[in-house]
Amino acid sequence: MKSFIEKLNSKYVLQEVVYQRDDLVFAAIKKENAIDAITYLRDYEDFTHLVLMSCVDWIEDGKYQLLYLLHNPILKNDIGIKVYIDRENPEMVSAHHLWKSIWTYQREMHEAFGIVFPGSPRLKENFVVEGWDEIPFMRRDFDTHEYAEKTYFPRGNRKSNDPAEYMRKKLYPSQPVTAKQRKDDK
Amino acid sequence: MINKFLGFTPKKEMLPSQTVTPDTEIDLSSHKYQKIWLGPNHPGVTGNMAVELTVQGNTIMKAQTHVGYLHRGFEKLIERRLFVQGFPTSIRMCVAEPDTNEYFIARATEELSGYADAVPEYANWLRMLSLEMARLQGLLRGVPGQGGTFALGIGVQWGVYLRDLILDRFEELTGARVYHMFIIAGGVRGNLPEGFKARMEDNLRDIDDFIVKIKKLMFHNSIFKTRAKGLAVITPDMVDKFGIVGTNARACGVKRDVRKDNPYLYYDQLDFDPPTATDGDVYARTWIRWQELIQTVDLIRQIMAKMPETGDIRCKMPNVLNWKIPKGETYVRLESGRGEMGMYYVTDGSDKPRRINLRGPSYNHAISVLEHMLIGADVADVHAIMVSLQTCPPEIER
Amino acid sequence: MNIKDILTPFTAWANVVKEPVTIKDPFNREAAPRYRGFHDNDIEACIGCGTCEAICENQAIDLIPVDGVETKDGDSGLRPQVDYGRCCWCALCVDICTTDSLRLTNEYTWIDTDPDNFIFTPGVTPKSWYKKEEGWRKPGNGYEFYSKERVDMEELHAEERIDSFIEFVKGYSKEQAEKEADRCVSCGICTATCPAHMGIPEYIKAIRNDDLEEGLRVLYETNPLPEICGRICTHKCEDVCSVGHNGDPLSIRWLKRYIADQNPSEKYKEILNQDTSKSNGKKVAIIGAGPSGLSAAYYLALLGYECTIFEKLPEAGGMMRYGIPEYRLPYDQIDKDVNYILELGVEIKYGVNIGTDIKLEQLGKDFDAVFSGTGLHLGRSTRIPGTDNENVYFATDLLREIVLGKDIYVPEKIVVIGGGNVAMDITRSLARLQQIKYGKVDCTATSLESEDIMPADREEVVEAREESAIVDPGWGPKSIEIENGKVKGLNVVKCLSVFDENHAFSPKFDEDNKKFFPADMVVESIGQGMDLSYLSKEFKEKLKFTERGRIKVDEYFQSGVEWLFVGGDIIEGPDVIHGIANGHKAAVGIDNLLNK
Ligand code: SF4
Ligand code: SF4
Ligand code: SF4
Repeated sequence: MKSFIEKLNSKYVLQEVVYQRDDLVFAAIKKENAIDAITYLRDYEDFTHLVLMSCVDWIEDGKYQLLYLLHNPILKNDIGIKVYIDRENPEMVSAHHLWKSIWTYQREMHEAFGIVFPGSPRLKENFVVEGWDEIPFMRRDFDTHEYAEKTYFPRGNRKSNDPAEYMRKKLYPSQPVTAKQRKDDK
Repeated sequence: MINKFLGFTPKKEMLPSQTVTPDTEIDLSSHKYQKIWLGPNHPGVTGNMAVELTVQGNTIMKAQTHVGYLHRGFEKLIERRLFVQGFPTSIRMCVAEPDTNEYFIARATEELSGYADAVPEYANWLRMLSLEMARLQGLLRGVPGQGGTFALGIGVQWGVYLRDLILDRFEELTGARVYHMFIIAGGVRGNLPEGFKARMEDNLRDIDDFIVKIKKLMFHNSIFKTRAKGLAVITPDMVDKFGIVGTNARACGVKRDVRKDNPYLYYDQLDFDPPTATDGDVYARTWIRWQELIQTVDLIRQIMAKMPETGDIRCKMPNVLNWKIPKGETYVRLESGRGEMGMYYVTDGSDKPRRINLRGPSYNHAISVLEHMLIGADVADVHAIMVSLQTCPPEIER
Repeated sequence: MNIKDILTPFTAWANVVKEPVTIKDPFNREAAPRYRGFHDNDIEACIGCGTCEAICENQAIDLIPVDGVETKDGDSGLRPQVDYGRCCWCALCVDICTTDSLRLTNEYTWIDTDPDNFIFTPGVTPKSWYKKEEGWRKPGNGYEFYSKERVDMEELHAEERIDSFIEFVKGYSKEQAEKEADRCVSCGICTATCPAHMGIPEYIKAIRNDDLEEGLRVLYETNPLPEICGRICTHKCEDVCSVGHNGDPLSIRWLKRYIADQNPSEKYKEILNQDTSKSNGKKVAIIGAGPSGLSAAYYLALLGYECTIFEKLPEAGGMMRYGIPEYRLPYDQIDKDVNYILELGVEIKYGVNIGTDIKLEQLGKDFDAVFSGTGLHLGRSTRIPGTDNENVYFATDLLREIVLGKDIYVPEKIVVIGGGNVAMDITRSLARLQQIKYGKVDCTATSLESEDIMPADREEVVEAREESAIVDPGWGPKSIEIENGKVKGLNVVKCLSVFDENHAFSPKFDEDNKKFFPADMVVESIGQGMDLSYLSKEFKEKLKFTERGRIKVDEYFQSGVEWLFVGGDIIEGPDVIHGIANGHKAAVGIDNLLNK
């Protein structure tokens, strides 16, 4: 695997190479080289099986990270090609011409993260949600809890107590309080 | 295809599949076509999913899969939970074999936090046992279920009964029948109850009988044969193009099995050889699954014979409430009854996962493959094709 | 088409004559013994720690007050309530329950027409399934959600420590501290029991996050003497720690010490970032630089008061310096804590004796308020025959003299009367001195209380024995044998019981069971008394006293005289942490008084 990665590195500059297991490597490739590299891997290095395409939201870095996980059925190992794209204007070259299955992933990613893959078939069709008017729901800044609170109404028959706070109020209410407790009391 | 049985089916060359592709625009205003929806309420036995069919007579011109009826945002919800809290949610992503998802979460977190080798041996054997039991109960539903799609209901009833017996065993091993919540980071949540092996052996003997009976019922059945043979053929060149895995791939001669290719747990210590066939049609797929049924029973026997009598069930790990995992990512996979399943698991140094993404076989099988296979098929065969591809909607939409 | 293929399926008809496999009575099918059904909770055992609530991934659990369960030390009085609209029967709550009180029974049918009934409090709301023994319990076989074993603290071996007064408890390393901190379930049950109500889970969390500066800030919110408390606190919190119900309690004290140890004193100012430059123009006098006085000074200084501490002895610390041996609490650690308080602008006047050098009434005139934390420095005597001999000493006096560097009398054989921590301190100090002087130890401590009810901390007794001192509890001192004006030894009789049924002190002896401890010196350490001689007679009349002779104070430690606040060992304790808590509260009381 190592020598193969070195070879690949000389062809397409790899970053963040991590040998996660003997049979699994992750590496980041520049956006403009990615589809090229993936095509090369598929056609010349026997990484013919697309296991998964995925996306991770690194909101703090302002990036989406796409993952193309490829499997080599002959050598039985995997390479995960990571591509960072801008989070503000998320767009990636479509790979639907490489595998018949990839347009579904791209359609899902469009819905779940708002990433655009120009030319990908049925990209804008609903995948799992219908009539969604919030921000794409897999983004880190979509708060499921807040959404649930405002969309559904709690029955209002539940209330919990924090043991430490409860004990303070019961057992030593006049004890001088810390800054945090003062805040909680308000 | 029943028409063929009656002797007046159009010749293969005349089937529209030769002329239409999934992207063909169909002019509905021409009144030559009709749109019908199959689902979303349980078409056949594959859960809530809809297929929007455009038909010309009995022949399907175009098919589009619609999912979302079971979407509960599990992947997102797990992102908001501690590592240990993920598994009760994850199992809902796959109703057919929930144990696989428990395994993924456990395995991925162990691997990323450096505890992969610390899991006690006994626990790993119990994990294998529960995974094979999951496969067995899935096949007990799936194999006769294929007959069911051709109105062969009796096999389904036998299968459901036997599956219930396996669920009884699950119940005593894991404390639950369907959502077992048994495999946990670091090990498993219970030891083998006393007398378990004997009771399991009893059940396996019943299943041995069933295997023979179902063979007579389905594979020596002219109706089943006529309808299933030649139906929805997957060719080897499709396998990589569509990302086809598991029995669907093995039925057309592409021998891929994670248990053999990238062995996990102790599968390399078991003696088995995944069956393959060459036809790639519904019949071949069902036939392979029937053989896997035999094999799974055998594997469970092997596991019960080889596993240690007792031992620790979980390794020492950090306090689950305070457990943080350094930044990292991994992909863990296994061979489920439906083929390769896997999970992409990303951590960011906090006490919750950054992202999890399940790779369910149905993601491809029930969308791109199904849409492709249905073109040119007969409306009456839609269920059969769906079931033969082992469609499972919850793992598509998660 | 094969004719066989048409006929074979008909073999299925054979089933028609078979016995059906259906369950005969589906309504009474017993689930497996391990089945995860409805909850049950042992209300007596549960302590309302809320850990089950914390782990429930569905937020199905609330902690609610329950009739008949009282909030007390180590028990919040709350009990978990489960919402079956959310529960998924994963039993994570059972697996983590700190007391093992929670379990799932294997009952799984419950029909009700009112959905609100499915919110219930296991063990409280009456349910038929509580009588079921079977169901899910914690699995065992090495299955733990948090470690039950405390991370061992490294100590010097007895041989290494017996001939010197150097500190023998080494303190946690980073790795050890983080491992120990990991065991905490952050329930906060301990906070109520800590007299100073320290933010224990918060500072333990800071250790886990390796943010020791934050840890120090949390410590100083409620305790300005963390180095000291991190070493010698009586750690009442550890007695109630939830994790201790099923394993070793958290090592809270050592974790506190770890935080204080790791922050260098030069950086305290920067880390704590407390500004005391703005004075509010009011002055407070504090008598005694012990824990309560220092604590009061610290909190008053933060509020902008000008504080002056009057200390009789040449250095600050009170009993912490002059009562606790150096091997437990090195002087530089006392200095570290005290110096920070001094950095805040607090002034200490050493060698000033209130009552003789300055009258208390004078202080009252010169200052806006006075806090007095004069402590318990007088020894108490058993008053048995022979105690008037010159070689019969009080432990407190000896300990003080050791610190002051005086040469004390150390003969070859010593007997100490007493079973408390002070008795152990003097026993172990004398043992060291014997070792240094004679190369061997012959020091016996004997107490009225038997081994199981000895008031000293267990570890003190164990360590004393490790250091070759003899601890022989359960004897009542009868007389000190004197020959030619010299102490020969101590006569004791077996003590059968110390307290009567009403828990009142009333020892019973077996007069026939006698024993003699030969010794050249006897040390009495059966308790300390307060020295209130600084209060003039007229002044005393203005104060109120409790039946036990203590000065009566209100909840803010204000005495009968408006400007006088009293705290520390003479009111509560004796221990350091009560002193700190008293000082803190008195500071608030003084602030209330002067800011009215
Ligand atoms: S974890 Fe156990 S002891 Fe704590 S509140 Fe829950 S049931 Fe009670
Ligand atoms: S069983 Fe699981 S879901 Fe139910 S209350 Fe306990 S932790 Fe929550
Ligand atoms: S130290 Fe013990 S009692 Fe205190 S919060 Fe931690 S676990 Fe709870």
